Amino acid sequence: MADMLDTSPAFDPSCCRQRGMVITADPALTAMLDALWPAQDVCWQAFERASRAMEELYAEPPDLLLVDECLPDMSGLELAMAVKSENVYRQMPVVLVLRGPEALDSLDWSAMEVDEFLLRPFSPVEIRSRLALALARATRTLDANPLSKLPGNTSIIQRVQHLVEAGAEFGLAYVDLDNFKSFNDKYGFSRGDEALMMTARLLVNVVREHPQQAPAMHFVGHVGGDDFVFILPATQVEAACRAVCARFDAIVPSFYDEDDRRRGGIRSTDRQGNAQDFPLMSLSIAVVLNHNAKLTHAGEAASMAAALKKKAKAISGSSYVMDQRQR
Amino acid sequence: MADDLRLAHRNRILAVKDLPTLPKVLEEVTRLVADPNSSTDQVAKLIAYDQVLSAKVLKMVNSPIYGFPGRIGSIQHALVLLGLNVIKGVIISTSVFDFMISTMNGLWEHSLGCALACTEIAKVAGLEEPEEYSVPGLLHDLGKVVTAVQLPDIRQELDATVKERDCTYREAEALVIGFTHEAVNGWLAQHWRLPLKIREGMAWHHAPTRAEHYPAAACVVHLADFLVKAYEYGFSGDDQVPYLDPNALKILKLDGDALDTVMDALAEKFLEVADISFS
Repeated sequence: MADMLDTSPAFDPSCCRQRGMVITADPALTAMLDALWPAQDVCWQAFERASRAMEELYAEPPDLLLVDECLPDMSGLELAMAVKSENVYRQMPVVLVLRGPEALDSLDWSAMEVDEFLLRPFSPVEIRSRLALALARATRTLDANPLSKLPGNTSIIQRVQHLVEAGAEFGLAYVDLDNFKSFNDKYGFSRGDEALMMTARLLVNVVREHPQQAPAMHFVGHVGGDDFVFILPATQVEAACRAVCARFDAIVPSFYDEDDRRRGGIRSTDRQGNAQDFPLMSLSIAVVLNHNAKLTHAGEAASMAAALKKKAKAISGSSYVMDQRQR
Repeated sequence: MADDLRLAHRNRILAVKDLPTLPKVLEEVTRLVADPNSSTDQVAKLIAYDQVLSAKVLKMVNSPIYGFPGRIGSIQHALVLLGLNVIKGVIISTSVFDFMISTMNGLWEHSLGCALACTEIAKVAGLEEPEEYSVPGLLHDLGKVVTAVQLPDIRQELDATVKERDCTYREAEALVIGFTHEAVNGWLAQHWRLPLKIREGMAWHHAPTRAEHYPAAACVVHLADFLVKAYEYGFSGDDQVPYLDPNALKILKLDGDALDTVMDALAEKFLEVADISFS
């Protein structure tokens, strides 16, 4: 059966929600995996030899890779290492299938880039959970911003799309720091990171202070650099913006050296040698409201926010601009 | 004092894991954080009355986990950044003093009085952000609390020495443990990554001219400590009239009139705080 799949490249990845790839010479494993989930939820592509799988693996990386410890042409571990050493495939969760508990004694987990392992004899119930967990963990940890550990772009888009599809009345706030570059240039990136960490923490706490409603909208994400996003019910978002601005303005002076704080900003010289003054950092927030389910796609929100942000930037000090357009 | 004994004392003090506080403040803060309608502002005001809870909160927010060590010196800001969830955790794991409560009561009032005095002095001296000076004032005797908690056997010896020799608590500390509470303050502030201004205010309030970066902070606490003792507000371990370094007044550019203004304002403040008794 595995051989048959091996020779059938007519595999359509769009047909399933999750794609798993299994590389094993053990037909029992393949059969068990196929029985774990209905085919419309997870579909498995099986290969008997690592060499046969390589191209497919690199061209169409699956959501999850299962590798048997012993393969006819190389060790499962070698294959796992080869995949994980390429930065673009690192996020793919790799599960190593071991012959039995005795294999564990000789393994050094810190030296192996593997995300999960399975032991023979198999317990289908346990394996189902372990694989689901490996998938969930991979989305959680790899989309997180490495500095703030907040969810990143993939999660942000997913959440917005989900809320748009549900027709939820939410407010999506795009937050960015004004004068962050001048701060970073003067004090260095690690001081810049401090200011970003403070901003992240501030947003998380303000959002959490608002009572949860159904459907759950509370969300804070880190787009990257000095760009953040938060989501709240449409009725709560303006109060949150006010709190975020007031608190940021109160705290941010602590992140400057005494003399700059007293001066109210940073003085620097541009490439032409002209002195330039940069005020203390502040926040610009653009809020897109999904009134009467006017949004049909996550991308719409992003482009509307970009236009609004220009308005917020024009105002000095921390400020927010709400989108007033109704449909 | 043998060096190895002094080192042993120091190590025991710095091993501090938990600081207990007084039941009255803890009860009130616990009630407030459990109330879903309470705000971080309300909780911050209450925590700012208690040197132990304030120290814990500042230690937490300045820890490297949050990513901005040494930046936050205000209780209000600390609470906004920690959030009520974390505060709840800190409160839940704080225990209560069941020993030496009467002494701690006096020290609690002395510390609070000193915090209030610091703000008034900073205002009259025309320093920027005068409220910022209340924190080093509040924490200026934390070393005494930590020493008492970590070296309970030695605490009684300190009290006895103060009585027998009719000396200051600080002199007794030097005699019995080999260092004084400001040294402990300095170690703790550094260990907990508190902002430099707070650290120097805490560490140099008995020798204000030795503060390297923020002599004004040390001078403010020095003068505040003197005034609170002169008013006999609270109890800091002894009944001695403390020494006031005239250089502190010079550095703060305060004359007799300015001092009068501070003292008038303080008398009023002390009446006000007498109302916020939790007992």
